[in-house]
Amino acid sequence: MPTLKAHGLAVTPPSGWDAEIYTRDRDPRIMTPQGMQEVVPPIAHVANFGLPPNRGDFGGGAVELMESGAVFVALIQYDQADVDTALFRGKGIPWPLSPDEFDPNNLQRAFAGQSGVQRFFVAGGRPFCLYVVLGSHRLRATLVREVNAVLESITFD
Amino acid sequence: MTVLVVLLALVVALLAVLVIGLLRSHAEILRRLHELGAGIYDGEEGTTVQPTQGVRTPVELRTRPGVPEPRSVEGMVATDAHDITGLTPLGGAAVAGVVGTGHTTLLAFLSSGCGTCANFWQAFGDGAGTRLPGSDTRLVIVTKGPEAESVSAVAALAPPGITTIMSSEAYEDYSVPASPYFILVDGPSGRIFGEGAAGTWEQVATLLGQAAADAGLAIDGSPLRRSAPDGRLTGPERAARADADLLAAGIGPGHPSLYPDQLVGGPDAALPLTDGAPGRPDAGADR
Repeated sequence: MPTLKAHGLAVTPPSGWDAEIYTRDRDPRIMTPQGMQEVVPPIAHVANFGLPPNRGDFGGGAVELMESGAVFVALIQYDQADVDTALFRGKGIPWPLSPDEFDPNNLQRAFAGQSGVQRFFVAGGRPFCLYVVLGSHRLRATLVREVNAVLESITFD
Repeated sequence: MTVLVVLLALVVALLAVLVIGLLRSHAEILRRLHELGAGIYDGEEGTTVQPTQGVRTPVELRTRPGVPEPRSVEGMVATDAHDITGLTPLGGAAVAGVVGTGHTTLLAFLSSGCGTCANFWQAFGDGAGTRLPGSDTRLVIVTKGPEAESVSAVAALAPPGITTIMSSEAYEDYSVPASPYFILVDGPSGRIFGEGAAGTWEQVATLLGQAAADAGLAIDGSPLRRSAPDGRLTGPERAARADADLLAAGIGPGHPSLYPDQLVGGPDAALPLTDGAPGRPDAGADR
């Protein structure tokens, strides 16, 4: 099982899984609510299906392809200035996750049968958002075990 | 008497020339046969040459320029499938799952610099990689790593919808002899279905289709069905039955009803709109 390392993140996906750690190109059209240029953060995507090359930060373009046994994990670093905001302050690494934390209403884009969870936390002094999508809410007990195995392999430099 | 002796000497000399010529011709034939390998297995232990076997000639096969030769059988046997780990042309670190997946993966080992590879970059850019043989086959393009490839050139060539990973490690893992080279991997078993090279995508697609068929898969990835289930007809059998029914109804090739001017059911339909007319199942719906 190879370990991917980039942008201060490392993950070891199981054999047969797809993963990518990257930063996308800055889009000059995207501005923050404060009128600033967007910050292009490091992003890690891990999935047990073939990730399409063109995806949104939260898996748009990939989650549409998910079948019932599919798992998608997104780890998105936020602007360092956000680390002391209420969204992140005092929140540590949220895994291992529990099946009870997953809910179809947590999805960024709702697809029938899918379920998700979103957690904000600080690791290594850096603010992150964890977003996980399961292909089947009914199979969450089984799929969450796979998710936790992947999350346990993540390290922060 | 002298004339007779001279004539006899001339005849003998002529015959000697003919014999020498025949011997030289025979020697030339033997030399050519030896070059073709005739008789090289005759002395091998346990080898019995059958009269119908003919001459076994070791022929050196070569691929056309620009197309790498396949690996040796020993090399193919020794190679296991691996996940592809490397960098994306945009600088990210990526791994593409190959072993243990539920689908087959077509690994296309390409280079940004080779002329033959240009055919494949172009074909994939035009969407040729969207219909692949095997079970839900995924195409992954692999180039060598940034130490051996131009990242910007690969980024410019990489088709937008196809996973492209730069990985010299993958070239070593799969013992890829040169680019372009294609390897079809069965995900569930981690077994290599087939591999090889060709000059055009059409040739590769044909070879992959054969490899998939040999593995029991249709071109669209569905299991090959060579016979219909009990009580059901195969496609050709259904076509034959339809032809027979049409012929029994007096409708053969070229029958005018097969070429209507307008769709059945329209205001001026080509077929008669009488109740219960054959071929008009929705007649009641018009009322």
